[in-house]
Amino acid sequence: MNSVAAALLVWTLTSPSSSGHGRGDAWPTHTACSSGGLEVLYQSCDPLQDFGLSIDQCSRHIQPSLNIRFGIILREDISKLFLDMALVSGGTSVLNFSYPICEEDLPKFSFCGRRKGEQIYYAGPVNNLGFDVPQGEYRALLKLYNENHATVACANATVICS
Amino acid sequence: MALDISCFFLVALFSASCESIASSDQTCIEKETNKTYNCENLGLSEIPGTLPNSTECLEFSFNFLPTIQNTTFSRLVNLTFLDLTRCQIYWIHEDTFQSQRQLDTLVLTANPLIFMAETALNGPASLRHLFFTQTGMSSLDFIPVHNLKSLESLHLGSNHISSIKLPQNFPTEKLKVLDFQNNAIHYLSKEDMGSLRHATNLSLNLKGNDITRIEPGAFKSTVFQSLDFGGTLDLLVIFRGLQNSTVQSLWLGTFEDIDDKEISSSVFEGLCEMSVESINLQKHHFLNISSNTFHCFTSLQELDLTATHLRQLPSGIVGLHNLKKLVLSANKFDNLCQVNAASFPSLTHLYIKGNEKKLALGTSCLENLENLRLLDLSHDDIETSDCCNMQLKNLSHLQSLNLSYNEPLGLKTEAFQECPQLELLDLAFTQLHVNAAQSPFQNLHLLKVLNLSHCLLDTSNQHLLDGLPALQHLNLQGNRFPNGNIPKTNPLQILESLEILTLSFCDLSSIDQQAFAQLKTMNHVDLSHNKLTSSSIKALSHLKGLYLNLASNSIGIIPPDLLPILSLQRTINLRQNPLDCTCSNVYFLEWYKENMHRVEDIEATLCENPPLLRGVRLSDVTLSCSITAVGIFFLTVFLLLFTVALIFAVKYFLRWKYQHI
Repeated sequence: MNSVAAALLVWTLTSPSSSGHGRGDAWPTHTACSSGGLEVLYQSCDPLQDFGLSIDQCSRHIQPSLNIRFGIILREDISKLFLDMALVSGGTSVLNFSYPICEEDLPKFSFCGRRKGEQIYYAGPVNNLGFDVPQGEYRALLKLYNENHATVACANATVICS
Repeated sequence: MALDISCFFLVALFSASCESIASSDQTCIEKETNKTYNCENLGLSEIPGTLPNSTECLEFSFNFLPTIQNTTFSRLVNLTFLDLTRCQIYWIHEDTFQSQRQLDTLVLTANPLIFMAETALNGPASLRHLFFTQTGMSSLDFIPVHNLKSLESLHLGSNHISSIKLPQNFPTEKLKVLDFQNNAIHYLSKEDMGSLRHATNLSLNLKGNDITRIEPGAFKSTVFQSLDFGGTLDLLVIFRGLQNSTVQSLWLGTFEDIDDKEISSSVFEGLCEMSVESINLQKHHFLNISSNTFHCFTSLQELDLTATHLRQLPSGIVGLHNLKKLVLSANKFDNLCQVNAASFPSLTHLYIKGNEKKLALGTSCLENLENLRLLDLSHDDIETSDCCNMQLKNLSHLQSLNLSYNEPLGLKTEAFQECPQLELLDLAFTQLHVNAAQSPFQNLHLLKVLNLSHCLLDTSNQHLLDGLPALQHLNLQGNRFPNGNIPKTNPLQILESLEILTLSFCDLSSIDQQAFAQLKTMNHVDLSHNKLTSSSIKALSHLKGLYLNLASNSIGIIPPDLLPILSLQRTINLRQNPLDCTCSNVYFLEWYKENMHRVEDIEATLCENPPLLRGVRLSDVTLSCSITAVGIFFLTVFLLLFTVALIFAVKYFLRWKYQHI
């Protein structure tokens, strides 16, 4: 009998962290792509929600203008949308950059201007440069945010190139 | 027994966790007392009892309200703005907003609506803005029309609508904005457009609908404020369809993710038979631009060719003689002369920012633009050792010049002699090379605003800012001063009209008491993010009514003689300073409490010292540094006892003395 109670106790103690995604819990790690010697894993770091991403033509020789598929619920209006990326390799920062995706005077993509609450599915090119990824493991922090620095999406990514 | 105990423990644990969830999840954020509340993302299934009846503005998105009806909001009779974005609303029953007489804006974006009752929107006396974006709507009959007489904007984006035809009794007299973006509209008929004939100065958004056919004459004699056909593949259809219409602003751009085909010049023939003031063609590919391409653009005032892959514009373009504003940003020019500016003699505004190649300014490339008022050449990788008289030759009416975010520029004395009318000059994040004793801004008699942030200036040059008698606003953020000190003689002293001065992130550790002596009209001084101590405040002793930002400095103790200076100012920010909360700073702490109305960011103005009070808000600290009542009591008792003892001692001494006589 005692062991049942103990098991129950353990269950109550552990269940709040595994059931439902309350604040502070981590979202599952997804695979954005895995082929051609390159593996990209990501995890949403927005406490409010997860998002879906997949990258076509995954390879260690990254082609220019990759196609991606992306699905998310907008938590903010995106008339103005910016991307910040920080790339770290072996504990040292390799690259930091900020890139405007939607601006009032240059809405680059057809989804610019959509509103808070809308569900978005984007399948199309991302206008990246082509380059070869040197062998190694990299960590990247990507953030999409609007003009008030309110988070639209946040991803902790791991890139493994073998 | 053990089981009982563990069960009890279990119940206790469970209830504790439930309670914490309930309490953390039910607090709306008060943004304006008794008026504005934010209850987003709380998983609420009803309006919380804690919201006051007087609430006017309620942000309630991302909650759970499957059905809304007349009891749902009945208590909140003063609502003017109600945001119900993504609340999983399926049903909107009869008289839901019956008591909301004041309701002005209702947002129902991203709710999977199944049905709205005929009287669902009755109640509000003047409902002006309605958002039905992504509600699964396929027909406009879905919206009850009874109470839409005051409607000014209707947002129907991301639905399954295939016709813009409004129902027969739909009131359009006051309608100004009709948004159909990302729907399935492919055809516009005469009948469709006829349903909008009572609307005046309408803005119609059809972005993300691939329009493949417009019935001839559908737009005949119509007048629109703006028409947006963004992402439409076939521009020929649009121009033919819009014959005989008048449009203030026509947006025909496309996007990165849309397959574009090259447009040939013949597409624009349709423009000859319509009247347009402003046109946007961003991101299109032009097959071959000749001097004749724009011959139908004669009525045009504004042309936006952002990111249209242009390497140059042909010379002698016909049809753009009256153009006032031209945007050529994010293109691929090598040299400014490739714009062939002589084709646009009436131009007042020219934007060439974010050029994809390093842009050479050339010599006198814009000399025909005598009427030019504004020139934006930011983010262009411009680099030149001698700017800017050759480059900006003959721009004598220029009022606003933006050269920010470029490569290093060399400036000599009177570098802007060709533009004596300049009122605004932005050079932020462009490194400037100015030789000692040169005055590049000399003779800019009308210049009011000068942004020199992060220009890596040589601030020891006493003549750097000479010749700016009208300058009101100067930004010097991120520039260094020798030894982190602004001395008594410094280039700022000459700016007698200065009102706004920004010296943040300048690595300053001191400012001379007389450094700003000649600056008598300042009303806004930003000294944040430096290493200043309180003694630098003396430099402001001759000023009053300032907005003074001292955030993120090294201010610990503010001695009493500086407090009168602070008392004369309008608003002071002392956030993120190592402020002292001991008795040695007691006069300042008292002043702070009496002057809370002058202080900004009270929440982030914290004590650093003593360790016990670290992180405590200054407003919450009460020190007692004078002698307390208890102290006075003990002192009195001590004195009393001492007197008694003395009397006894004297008495004893006298008695002893007399006994031995």
